[in-house]
Amino acid sequence: MGFEKFGRFGYVSQTKIAPLVSYLEKNQIMATKCKECGTLCFPPRADCPKCRGSNIAWVPIEGKGKLVTFTEVYFAPPAFQDSTPYLLGLAELQRGMRVFAPISNEVDRKDLKPGLELVLRPKQAGEGVFYQLESR
Amino acid sequence: MGRIAIVGVGHSKFGKRSDASLRELAFEAYSSALDDAELESSAIDGSVVCSATHYDKQRSPAGVVSEYLGLSPKPTFNVEAACASSAVGLRIAWSLISSRLHEVIAVVGVQKMTELSSGEIQELMGRAGDVMWESPFGTSMPAYYAMYANAHMAKYGTTEEDMARVTVKNRKYGAKNPQAMFQKPISMEEVLSSRPVSKPLKLFDCCANADGAACLILTSSERAKKMTDRPVWVAGIGLASSPMSLAGRKGPLTSFEVTKNAARSAYEMARVKPADVDVAEVHDSFSITEILNYEDLGFARPGKGTKLLKTNETELGGKIPVNIDGGLISKGHPVGATGASQITSLVHQLRKEAGDMQVDGAKIGLAQNIGGIGMYSAVSILRA
Repeated sequence: MGFEKFGRFGYVSQTKIAPLVSYLEKNQIMATKCKECGTLCFPPRADCPKCRGSNIAWVPIEGKGKLVTFTEVYFAPPAFQDSTPYLLGLAELQRGMRVFAPISNEVDRKDLKPGLELVLRPKQAGEGVFYQLESR
Repeated sequence: MGRIAIVGVGHSKFGKRSDASLRELAFEAYSSALDDAELESSAIDGSVVCSATHYDKQRSPAGVVSEYLGLSPKPTFNVEAACASSAVGLRIAWSLISSRLHEVIAVVGVQKMTELSSGEIQELMGRAGDVMWESPFGTSMPAYYAMYANAHMAKYGTTEEDMARVTVKNRKYGAKNPQAMFQKPISMEEVLSSRPVSKPLKLFDCCANADGAACLILTSSERAKKMTDRPVWVAGIGLASSPMSLAGRKGPLTSFEVTKNAARSAYEMARVKPADVDVAEVHDSFSITEILNYEDLGFARPGKGTKLLKTNETELGGKIPVNIDGGLISKGHPVGATGASQITSLVHQLRKEAGDMQVDGAKIGLAQNIGGIGMYSAVSILRA
């Protein structure tokens, strides 16, 4: 339990990586690291995709990244209709890890293009806690 | 291994079919496929019912569809691969017949979407992506394709006008297809001035939810030769997967690796090259998707898909006519039926029965069907 707090509207409540939520509440963005082979995963994973090891450690990651692509959503699912239009982006972080996240409304739409330097930061809104891409 | 033939195809009218239930739509397509094959139900020894079952009010619809078609107690089951369900159904039928477990299989692609409220549809669309890592941020089906569109525009200079050309072309042909949802041409201005859905995609860059069914009847080469003098052969079938999460995909997101992989398998199996294809049906769920598909299927080099549109090479009379039945953009997209609908149009082309829409001398046809937000892609190559 607990993972339903992840995002602006959570669909999944039960997962082995639910601790991500409490880290975000403490303003930390954490990845998982396989204790067997050292593979780093973000978003976090309970099970290593490389060696199948399920013994993981939580490690902080740096949020600096570059935008890969983005969109501005006008037609939204019911739980999101009050906040249209809003921005979504895909960014590349360190070591080739990628993140799908909302882009802060404060980022100027005119600046949006692949390669734009952004930073991933924890964010709390209402009951939810998540991360979003913001200007550096 | 013996070859597998398509000996019958059937297609319901697609669109807002408030007159018909799911089972009745399936019956329309199935009955016309039997007529086309000159067979009776007694000749069919199993059915593969293809639908994205989350849209269906009926749970596990194969049961009720098989019953209504009069196919009980013969084997039946559902195949689900989102928008690629019935292209995957074709693959299953190929395997069932190749293994000699069955001789004559009906692939029934069907979907009933318009009786869902728009709220229910939007809620389902919201869960089209990875529900742990992406849906909680308010994703939608168009949002994912819009992200590919923005990446392609930034890298190659593709414009909204380029994308609108896809809609204008496909709606022009849809106007001649009596089974299509939209049988009216549309102007460039109408497409460009339509309301934004997920930028840069606008309303008329998107296909529409629809009700409909399409059916394929397949058999072995020995049986096909006894049944018909106009079999259409399944020469190659390719299927691939891609990470469902966008974050799990590599590269600049200006192409679908999943389609390139599926195409490679299908071309190898059929022993043909992209330039050998005479007519194609590609998955134009969004206008941008058709442009990416040209490139991923090898009809154009990366970034050059828009040039095929500007030079009319994908029009009737061009080098590689694409979506001459109007595509998803005109026909509507009854998710589970779309793959079988594409195959039905190719069969008509390869049998030279496409009337005003006939591609001269068509001998090799290719259909490409993407599932969901690009986690599946199926490429099927047919020969006359």
